[in-house]
Amino acid sequence: MLMCKDLAGIASDYIDGELTGRRNLSVKMHLMMCKHCRSFIGNLRASTDLMKAHSSSKPDGEFIRRIDERVAEALKTRKPRDGDNE
Amino acid sequence: MNTAVHPDPQGSLIEDLKRGDSSAYKKAVREYSPGMLAVARFYLDYSSAEEIVQDCWVTVIDAIHKFEGRSGLKTWLHRIVANRCKNKLRSSKREVAIDFSESLEPELANRFNATGRWDLPPSLKFHESADTLMENDALSDCLDKHLSALPETQRSALMLYEAHQHKSEDVCNILDVSASNLRVLLHRARQKIFLMVETFQETGEC
Repeated sequence: MLMCKDLAGIASDYIDGELTGRRNLSVKMHLMMCKHCRSFIGNLRASTDLMKAHSSSKPDGEFIRRIDERVAEALKTRKPRDGDNE
Repeated sequence: MNTAVHPDPQGSLIEDLKRGDSSAYKKAVREYSPGMLAVARFYLDYSSAEEIVQDCWVTVIDAIHKFEGRSGLKTWLHRIVANRCKNKLRSSKREVAIDFSESLEPELANRFNATGRWDLPPSLKFHESADTLMENDALSDCLDKHLSALPETQRSALMLYEAHQHKSEDVCNILDVSASNLRVLLHRARQKIFLMVETFQETGEC
């Protein structure tokens, strides 16, 4: 029988849909009966969403402009290769 | 209406990059730099990450002719960024060894009794959306602190898989880890973030 500790060990696999067949079914059955594990799965999902929201900040235009400058400079000294337009 | 003029728009961009076409570079820089910066940010502080991304684009000019298209361009670029960041870190910081046989964080494993049931159940309550919560500067700073304290492979696994929605096989390819080890990395990283947010909510401290 699947215990809470076992479920906690495979919670990410369950969230990501990586469990198959009997194992997935045993997690679902356990979750129906166990509010702490339901809460753990919810907590793990929500923490991950928080991390995603936190890391989705966009770089500013100045950063892109500096890359354009570096690339333009490097393209000037780029060695020609086969397949380049004559 | 079918407006496609090229069967593979990314293939056309790659060909233009290989020819050293400057407008193709401008287009690619705009499309891919935000993701590349986000990859670098999980290894390095902001200014070092920006520097790495700039350096990578210069590297790309010479390396693009070796790109064979086995992975997507985005995956290839992220891999270059990740490798550069790892090299930079290698000289300054030692990687923490991860025990791949253990899927539970010790701090979480201690919260079960001898029969494997919860002794100290999870207590996190979410009444607001993730975006609203992130307006809390203290929580945001705390997340920053904990993300940067994660072992680098855990941090980048989490970020590549979650924030950039790379497929598992691409993340394995970028980080050079097996599929089963990736599962452990992701799970351990998520537990640490959960434990951190739980402590923050309970105590208000990071």
